[in-house]
Parts: sequence; structure tokens; C-alpha cells
Amino acid sequence: MRRSFARIVSIAAALVCIAAVVSCSKPAPEQAKDVEVNMFQLKVEIKDALDGYAASYSAAHPGVTVKVETLGGGQDFGGAMKAKAQAGQMPDIFVIEGLGGYNVWKDYIADLSGEPWVKDTDLAMKVDGKIVGFPVAIEGYGLAYNADILAKAGIDPATLTTRAAYEKAFAKLDSMKKELGISAPVSMAASVAGGMWWVAAQHNLACYWGGGLAFDDTSVIDKALKGELDEARFTQYAKYLQLLYKYADQNILLNGSYDDQVGAFAQGKTAFLHQGNWVDPNLKQLGVTFPIGYAPHAFLDTEEKGLYLFAPSWYCVNSKSPNAEAAKAFLTAMATTPEGHDYMVNKAGMIPAFKSVTLKPAGQLSQALMAANAKGGNYGVFFGMLPDGAGQNVFGPIFDLFAQNQNDLPRFISDMKKAVANIPNM
Amino acid sequence: MRRHRLVNVLFVAPCVFAFAMNIIIPFGFGLYYSMTDWNGVSSDIHFVGLANFAGLFSSPDFIYSFIITVAYTAINIVLVNAVSFGLSLIVTSRIRGRNFLRAGFFIPYLIGGIVLGYIWQFIFNNALVAVGKSLSIAALQASFLSKPGTVIWIMSIVNTWQYAGYIMLIYVAAIQGIPASLMEAAEVDGASYPTRIFKILVPMMANAFTISLFLTLTTSFKQFDMNLTLTNGGPATRFMDTPIKASQLLAMNIFSTATANRMAEAQAKAVVLFVALVVVALLQVAANKKKEVEL
Repeated sequence: MRRSFARIVSIAAALVCIAAVVSCSKPAPEQAKDVEVNMFQLKVEIKDALDGYAASYSAAHPGVTVKVETLGGGQDFGGAMKAKAQAGQMPDIFVIEGLGGYNVWKDYIADLSGEPWVKDTDLAMKVDGKIVGFPVAIEGYGLAYNADILAKAGIDPATLTTRAAYEKAFAKLDSMKKELGISAPVSMAASVAGGMWWVAAQHNLACYWGGGLAFDDTSVIDKALKGELDEARFTQYAKYLQLLYKYADQNILLNGSYDDQVGAFAQGKTAFLHQGNWVDPNLKQLGVTFPIGYAPHAFLDTEEKGLYLFAPSWYCVNSKSPNAEAAKAFLTAMATTPEGHDYMVNKAGMIPAFKSVTLKPAGQLSQALMAANAKGGNYGVFFGMLPDGAGQNVFGPIFDLFAQNQNDLPRFISDMKKAVANIPNM
Repeated sequence: MRRHRLVNVLFVAPCVFAFAMNIIIPFGFGLYYSMTDWNGVSSDIHFVGLANFAGLFSSPDFIYSFIITVAYTAINIVLVNAVSFGLSLIVTSRIRGRNFLRAGFFIPYLIGGIVLGYIWQFIFNNALVAVGKSLSIAALQASFLSKPGTVIWIMSIVNTWQYAGYIMLIYVAAIQGIPASLMEAAEVDGASYPTRIFKILVPMMANAFTISLFLTLTTSFKQFDMNLTLTNGGPATRFMDTPIKASQLLAMNIFSTATANRMAEAQAKAVVLFVALVVVALLQVAANKKKEVEL
């Protein structure tokens, strides 16, 4: 009762706003034939590229004008969207960043299952069997390695597919620290203080949720959402994490910031870096010239060869907009035309989530990811399914504490068991 | 008379309106939301009574944040006021360059808490560690910010560095308000320097202590910006057998609850902070007021 009342009130308010806007701002009737697609997005770094692409698309399609509005970095995108919806200016294309965003906006999100780009990607946002989001880009990670250092140490990165192989490689690198000029084999970060909880407690933990499984297999995290931890699997994972911790530069692990972590690898002080392809621009800025590749996070006793791929955000089409078809056509053009590919790869510097794209991004890690995506056999990243704040407020301190007490494996496992058991109450 | 009343009301109205819209009504909303299950987005709000408050006092992270906030405030009150009182004695003495010193001590206050947190983080995490390594001093080789036991003290030191200059100015103003004849008379009568400080200066400037203690108490209790940039709540420690953040003060605890879309719970925490702050501040002011003397 209360619910429907609130809904009626909010709909009434929205109608009043729409009526007000429509009645005031309706321009001359001849322009009404033209369709104007409004897009609202939050990636500031691609603003110019996207504006340019929208302009050239508009020029090539008479009668359609695409207008892009970009919200400045760090601003509250969700809040701005709410204001737009209340004002009756809901954009035709907008961005969500995961299931949380979907649940807020699901009344506005159109079903995109019939779009031609759907079968060209593994990373479209899917809810209840329906495709609801266009993947903006691919991001992903494995364990990045400095190929020069591995070659000098006589380690073939292709052999790094099991935990045992990593253990041997780390031990060898550790024993050759002086000759190789490195301070530690791995550049890993886990510190809450440095704001790096997400490397360990989000991205590394994602290995446990999805590693070694089919790309869309969510069985492990589904169990966790019900409060269960698969102890045999988690123990294997915890041993791998312990290995990364043990052979990491301890100062970076316990206090380091993002710059410290990436900087150490860029300066050749570590052989491995636990980061995703978003560090490419940082590495370029730091003048990295050595060849880099990705080895898999192989934490199981059995072999694992895939990388972890995910889309950080999705474009959604406003189902209530009269321009929904024009908006869908714009997204389709982005995914399927050479101009769209050129925009995504060369102008915006992203890795498109579409397999038919043949252009190559500039960064070495991005290239490695794109090759892995084309090859297949990769693993999904599911931390977005966890309740809000689970990573930062619950897992973060557990992973930080394990980094401080690296030998206390049973304590780490029991802490995680307790935390996962509490997930359904969050 | 009647007309005057109307004029008065008209003059006060803009202020009352602004105060009501900005303080009173949001405060009422805050109280209301603290008793609901609102997540900040949903229009589907249920009244849950005091359930949010009941949950707080069994959650280890909140209890811990409350305890360390009280500890941090206690340390700060002593440290900031001792240092700034000392500084105010220095800059009101006949020392050379006292105006320069006054300005110098005040400058840290002009640096924002965010910037200052990053500067000191660099000093503790990088500069001191590098010094420790090159001179082989074991105590310096791991950052002080990575030790759960010392991190609160480090934060207090940084806060003192920032805030002492500001409180110093209050003390300086109070000292200058004391008639010089009083101090001279005591000196002629043979009172030693410490006697003059503690028997004349301190009682005469008791109202300055009331203000300064109040300011340090409330700002420490609400500390957020420097906490966020200097330690970000880290490192982790264990409390009630649960890993939690060792330096997460109350304000930051509220912030991270709110950013996890648990608005109602964060609001309940904010109400607890408000009540605690009001009670402690009233007790402090009442206690200090008794010590004030009139000339």
C-alpha cells in the first residue's frame, strides 16, 4: 500500500515535471521530425573521442542528432541521473556499472536481446536471460610479467599455469635478486591505508569466485551469497595468495599506494605486477620499454590458462524514450562499423568487447587481453555481485591482516569463512 | 508596538528560513531516516524503529571506531593545548622575531586537511622509511602508519602540527588581554616565572581554555579529512575476533557505511555521534565555566 502510494506520488511528480518541460521547451514544429538521441556518460577520458564520433555519426545520418553529455570525474553519476529522471530529462542512452545500477534503473532499461552485436561479445550485461547492457569496453588482468627479467632468469612464462610452477619461479627469482637487480619478485598491494584493498580483496579474490570455471559460471559466488565457502577450493586459493604475499615487496604490500606498486614494476624492480590493463597509460608515462605479457593467476593444483576479463560499465537504452530505436541504432553502429571500431580503439584507446574488431590497441597489456579475448578460455569476474561495501569494509581488512601475518593461513581461512557466512545479512 | 513586532519578524524571517531549511528540517529528516531501512535510492521506505541503533552496539567495527575516537580526542585535547599554550608563551615573550614565529606557527592551519594528510603520508611511508634504511635504524624501516598500535598517536601528532597554531592565536589574544601591571606587580613581589604562569596567567585566561578545549574536542571528535588521506582507516587489526580497520574514526566509519548504500545505518551512526558529542561538549563547557574568573 505504502509502496504503491509512493510510486503514484513519484510518477505524478515526474509527469508534472515532464509536462512542465514539454510545454515550455517545445521548439518550432519543423524540428520535431528530427530525432535527437541524448547520451549521458561518465568516462571523462573518452569525452572528446565520443563527442567527435557522435558528431560524425550525426553528420552521416540525416535526421538523427546524437548529443553526448559527460559528467566530470568523480561526480555523483547516480545522483545526477536521479535529478534528470525527476526533471523528466531522462537520457536515451545512459551508463550503469553493475547489478546494483540495474536494480535501481530497471524500470527504464530496454531489452537489447535482439541487437546484432549481441552474438559478437561475451560481456554484454545479462539479467534473467535478457541482454540489457552494451559493454563499454573490456578491462582485465592476469599477473603481468617483465619478459626481460624472466628471460634472464631462464623462466618461460608459458609454463606458469599451476601454483607449483609459480612457487618454483618465485623461489628462483628470489634467489637471483642481486643478479637481476630486483627488490622482490612480485609487486603486489593489499594495504587498506594505501587505498589498495581492491587489488587483493576484490581482483585477487575474484580468482576464487571465477578462476578455472566456465566464463559465465557463477556457482561459487552463488554459494557465497548464500553464506557458504567452498573450503577445499578456498584453501588452494589462500595458498596462492600466501605465495604472492611472501614474495612481494613487503613495503609496497603493507603501505604502498597505486603509484608505488606500478612504479616498482615500471622501474624493473619486480618481475611481476598484479594489475589490470588500465596501467598501460601509467607504464607509458613512466617510459617502460621492456616487453610485457600476462601470465594467468593459476591458483589451483590443476592447470589454468585464462585471464580475467570484465566490462567495467555498460550502456543502457531508455525503454521509455520515443527515440529508443535511434539509440539502439547508434550503439549498433558503434559495435559493427569500421568507424565505430576506429573510435573505440584508436580514438578512445579502449579494448572493445567485440570479437570481430581487428584493430589493435596501443598498450602492451591491452594487446595481451585482446588476444586472450579472441582466443577464449578466459574467466569471469564476479565481485560486482557481492553486496555493496563487502569488498571495502569486510574483505579489505581481512586481506590486510593476512598480509601482516602471512604465516597464519588457518586464521585467514576462518576469518573469510566467518565473513562469507555473514554475507546474506548484509 | 505591534508594528515593531511585525518589522522584527520580517527582519528575522530570512535567517529563520535559511536556518530551518538548512539545519532544522534536515536534522528532523536525519532522525527519521535513522529509524528506517532507506538505502538512499529506493522510494520503498519502511519504518524499523530502533533496529539500526540496536545493531550498532553489536558490530565490532563501530564499537572500535567509537573507542578510538574517544581515545584520539583525549590525546588531542592534551597534546594540542599543551603545545599551543607553550607556543603562545614563546610568541608573547620578548623573543626576537616573535611576529615571524606567530605567522609561521599559524601557517599549517591554512593547509587543507586533505593536502596535509598526503604530505605527512609521504613523510611517514617514504621519507622516514628511506632514512631508516640508509642509516640502518630498525625502528624506522617499517612505516609508523602500518603499525596498528601507533597509528592513532601519529594522527594526533599530525593534527597537533596542523591545529596548534590556530589555538595558539586564541591563547595569545587572551594573554595580551591581561593587564601588564598584574604580571609586573607579581614579578616585583618576587614570584618566579612558573608561579606567575600558573597562579596569575592561567586563572586569568580561563575563558580561553574553555574555548580552546571546546574547539579541540569537537574538531577531534568529528575528524575526517586528515583521517581519510593520511591513513584511510588502515592498517587492519583484530577486535572482538573480527578484522577491522585500526584507524577508522567515527566520521569515516559513517562515511564508508553511507557509500556502501546503507544510508539508514549510517544515519543512525551519525545520530549516535551527535548525541555523544553534545553530551561530552556540554560537560566540558560546564566544568570549564566554573574555573573562569572575572577581573
